[in-house]
Amino acid sequence: MSALRPQEKLKPWTDPAAVPYVRIERVTKRFGDFVAVNQVSLDIYKGEAFCLLGPSGCGKTTLLRMLAGFEQPTEGRLFIDGQDMTAIPPYERPVNMMFQSYALFPHMTVVENVGFGLRQDGIPKAEREARVAEILQLVRLTGFDQRKPHQLSGGQRQRVALARSLVKRPKLLLLDEPLGALDKKLREHTQFELINIQETLGVTFVIVTHDQEEAMTLASRIGVMNQGEILQTGTPTDIYEYPTSKYVADFIGSVNMFEGRLVEDEPAHVRIESAELGGTVYVDHGVSSAPDATVWVAVRPEKVRIDRERPDQLDNVFAGTVKEIAYLGDVSRYLVALDSGKLVRVTQPNTDRRDDRVTWEERVWLSWSPSANVVVTQ
Amino acid sequence: MNQRRSFFVLTAMAFGFAFLYIPILSMVVYSFNYSKLVTVWDTANSPTLKWYTALLADEQVLNAAKLSLRIAAINATGAVILGTLAGLALARFGRFKGRTLLTGLTTAPMVMPEVITGLAMLLLFVAMQTLVGWPAGRGVTTITIAHITFSMAYVTVVIQSRLLTLDESLEEAAMDLGARPAKVFFVITLPIIFPAILSGWLLAFTLSWDDLVITSFVSGPGSTTLPQLIFSKVRLGVNPSINALATVMVAVVASLVVVAGVWMQRQERRRQRDVQMALATNQGGA
Repeated sequence: MSALRPQEKLKPWTDPAAVPYVRIERVTKRFGDFVAVNQVSLDIYKGEAFCLLGPSGCGKTTLLRMLAGFEQPTEGRLFIDGQDMTAIPPYERPVNMMFQSYALFPHMTVVENVGFGLRQDGIPKAEREARVAEILQLVRLTGFDQRKPHQLSGGQRQRVALARSLVKRPKLLLLDEPLGALDKKLREHTQFELINIQETLGVTFVIVTHDQEEAMTLASRIGVMNQGEILQTGTPTDIYEYPTSKYVADFIGSVNMFEGRLVEDEPAHVRIESAELGGTVYVDHGVSSAPDATVWVAVRPEKVRIDRERPDQLDNVFAGTVKEIAYLGDVSRYLVALDSGKLVRVTQPNTDRRDDRVTWEERVWLSWSPSANVVVTQ
Repeated sequence: MNQRRSFFVLTAMAFGFAFLYIPILSMVVYSFNYSKLVTVWDTANSPTLKWYTALLADEQVLNAAKLSLRIAAINATGAVILGTLAGLALARFGRFKGRTLLTGLTTAPMVMPEVITGLAMLLLFVAMQTLVGWPAGRGVTTITIAHITFSMAYVTVVIQSRLLTLDESLEEAAMDLGARPAKVFFVITLPIIFPAILSGWLLAFTLSWDDLVITSFVSGPGSTTLPQLIFSKVRLGVNPSINALATVMVAVVASLVVVAGVWMQRQERRRQRDVQMALATNQGGA
C-alpha cells in the first residue's frame, strides 16, 4: 500500500542532524481525572504526512486539537518551526485545520468560505480572489463559486474544506479524519488526490484517523496511539512488518499471535516453544528478552502458506484442519484449527483459476518462513 | 397516508379543535354584529364593520394599542439581547460548577406564577425608588423592565437549544482561520442562529403584547396597555367594540405566527431542494 509513496527519499527522521519542524515535548492533557494524552513526545519533520492512528478515545484528536490551539496542554510544550506555540491562541497560529465535519460556514458561498481566512488577515480583494481561484483550481472545484455548502455533495464539501484550510498556506495542516465522511469509492480516489496536493504544496500534514488503511496510504510515518500514549512511531512498513508490541501488531491488519517461551537464545536466531502451536518456532533474528520469559510470536495471515503435502522445510511447519473458508475473489481466507485447538488465519491470493483448492475439514500443512515471525514481549 | 381514518380519531380531533377555537371564533363572529347587545345577532344589518370604525375613532384604544406595540417591541429586543447572552453562556461555558442550577434559575420565571413575579417586581421598583430614586413612579419603563424579565427566560431557552445543535467546530474553524472570538460571534454564530433569534423576538413580542397580570402590578397612571384597557372595559360592561378590539389583538398575534411559520417553512423547503439538487449533481460525476 505504501507503494503510493514510491519516492521514499524523504526520510528526515533517519538523519540525526535534521531539525524537527513540529516538536511535541512531554505533553500531557488531563480533563479532570481523565488523562487524555500522557507524556507524549514527538518530532515531525517538514514536508511529512504524519498520521496519528488509534481507536476512538485514544487521545489522538486531543493531541491534534492542542496543535491547533483549541486545547491547552496541562503539561509540556509545543513548538512549530522553532517557535513555542504552547500559549498562542488558535487565531494567531500558523496552523490550519480541516475538520472531520468539514465545518463549512452554512451561510457563506464556496468563495466566501475559502476566502474567510484571507479576509481575517486583511489581504486585499484582488489578491484574495486570485488566491481563492487558484486553490479552488488545485482541488478541482471551479464553477461552484457561488454555491452554498448544502448545495454541494459530500466529496465537493470535502474539497471546499481542504481548499479553505490550505489557502492561507499554513506551516502545518491538521486533518481530522479527512476521509471519514466519504463513501468507499470516493475515499480511495480522494486519498491519491490528497497525497498529490500535499506533495505539490509541500505542506506538512498531521492526520488523525482510526482507519488503518487510510493511515497506510496517506502517511510518511504513523504514530500508533492507545490510551493517551504513542506506542510506536514508524513508516507504514515498519509498523506493519515490525510491530514492537502485541497491541500494534493486532491493531494494524490482522495477525496470528502465538504465546510461547524462549528455548534457544542466540544472537542471530532464536527458538520459541509454543504449546498453542504444538512445537517450536524458528526465528531468524535475535530477540532481547529474558530467558524463560513469556513472548508472543506474531505471524501475518498472508505470510502463511497452506499445502496438502508437507512442504520441504524443517522449521515452522504445523498440521491443522480447515474449519472455515471465505472466498473473496482476489484472495481466499482460511481458518485452520491446529491440533492444540488454536485457530490460525491464513490469507492466500487466488493467483490461478482452479477448482481443486483445499476444502472444509481437510488436513493441511501450514508453513511460513523464519523471517515472517515477529517476536513481541508485551 | 392512505390509512382509513377511524371515526373515533376524527371525532376526537373535531372535539379538540372545537374546544380550542369555538370561543375565539364566536368572539370574532360577534365583532361583525350590528346590534349593541353582545348576545343578540342582528340579522338585518350584520355583518358590519361599524365597531371597527368606532375603534379607529377611539383615542383611548389607539393610545393603548400604540403603547402596547411600543412596549412589546422594546421588550422583544431587550429580551433577545439578554436571552442570547444567557443562552450563549449556558450552551458554551462547558460543564462549570452549578450549571444545572443556573439553567434552572434561568427558566424558573417561565413556571413562576405571574402574580408572584408581578408582586416581586412591584416591591423591587418601590424599594428602588426609595433608595436610588429610579425608576420614578410606575409607568412604561417599569412595565418594559418587568416584561423583559419574564420573556427573557423564553428567549434563553430558544437560543440555548439552537446553540446546542450548532456544530461547535464552525466557531473553531473560524478561529482557526484567524478570527478573534468576538468576531467569530458576530460573523459566524449570530448569522447562523438568526432564525432562532427572530423566533425568540416574535415569542417575546407576543408574550408582552398580551400580558395582563404582571403589567397590572407595575403599571402606573397614564400607562394603560391594550389588555389592561380591554379588562377594564369589560368590567364596565361588555360591548361589541370589545369583540372588535379583541379580534384585532388575535389577528396581530396570529399574523405574526403565520408569517414566522411560512418564512421558516420556505427556508426549510429551499434547503431541501438545494440538497436534492446537490445529490443530483453528484450522481452526474464528481
